[in-house]
Amino acid sequence: MTIYQTIGGILILIGAVFLFLGGLGIYRMPDIYNRLQAGTKATTLGAMSLILGVGVVKMEDDWTWMVKMAIIVIFIAFSNPISSHALARAMYHRKKYPYIKDNKEGMDAYRKVMEKEEERKKKK
Amino acid sequence: MKKAIVIFFLAVFGYFMAITFLSPEFEADRNRNGVKDFYLEKTVSDLKTANTVTAIVVNFRGFDTLGEVTVLFLAATALGSILFKKRHHIGERTVLYPASTIVGSGAKLIFPAIILLGAYVFIHGHLTPGGGFQGGTIIATGFLLMLISYRNFSISHNILSVIESLAGILFVVFGFMGLIYGGSFLENFMGTGILNDLFSGGVIPVIYILVGFKVAAELTGLIYTILHEKG
Repeated sequence: MTIYQTIGGILILIGAVFLFLGGLGIYRMPDIYNRLQAGTKATTLGAMSLILGVGVVKMEDDWTWMVKMAIIVIFIAFSNPISSHALARAMYHRKKYPYIKDNKEGMDAYRKVMEKEEERKKKK
Repeated sequence: MKKAIVIFFLAVFGYFMAITFLSPEFEADRNRNGVKDFYLEKTVSDLKTANTVTAIVVNFRGFDTLGEVTVLFLAATALGSILFKKRHHIGERTVLYPASTIVGSGAKLIFPAIILLGAYVFIHGHLTPGGGFQGGTIIATGFLLMLISYRNFSISHNILSVIESLAGILFVVFGFMGLIYGGSFLENFMGTGILNDLFSGGVIPVIYILVGFKVAAELTGLIYTILHEKG
């Protein structure tokens, strides 16, 4: 095993672990905001690390792979957070309230706060 | 009871699926009339095209592709004519919440990349998987992104229809040029070049570029019409 393969393998492993955690988070988290947390941060880093790892492994034969992979990483860094932002914003405007564990009022706690805020906005 | 019924229907469904997939036995000779071998040989030896699917779609069955493009054109025209009466104000559409600045800036950055990818897909249609239809659809998604991100992003319907008509007419013109120079409609009359080169395959890349432009224009027009529907 060459040094490229070792470093690339470690990067790919890190990426795989983070992607797995992201998938687990999407499955396990209770509401959309928490799921977005898991689905954005973990999978962005995971995909970036994995793609960079592939670039490092392939760099041994052909250095242009690294450039291509860097371009892909830049696009992932752009698109993934932006799309998650759009989703979260849409959910916020659709009045999907976060989930609170062991709260008797549950969703109502947030709903009340939000309704008060909206009333304040209307008065202005 | 419910579960038993569900299991029964699943069993029936699975039985017929199994029959469907098992009826032509595995490893049986499916190349009974030699069409597969003919296509594979001719694609490499005569047409010098790396992508066999493209060679079949554009060259061996180019006339069918012309029909497909016509179907798409008719669908777009029909939808436009149905929705046209409902559109009172072009350029105004009801949006609950406009997209945020972040989405807008991101869309501006990604839009040229999407157009580039679409152009790449249809220009390299004869070398790599993909082609005119796929590339055109990718370009249309780029315009969809811009339309979602900006409320007042407008596309001129006249330019779209001009591109669409020009691409369609040029497709037919190339078909007739094949008739004049080669002997049959959509005959591959240009030099085929070297296998795996960008400029190879004769008339195939030219036609796929035209199909790409046509599909992109049609789908963009469709998306635009649907988004600006009133009500």
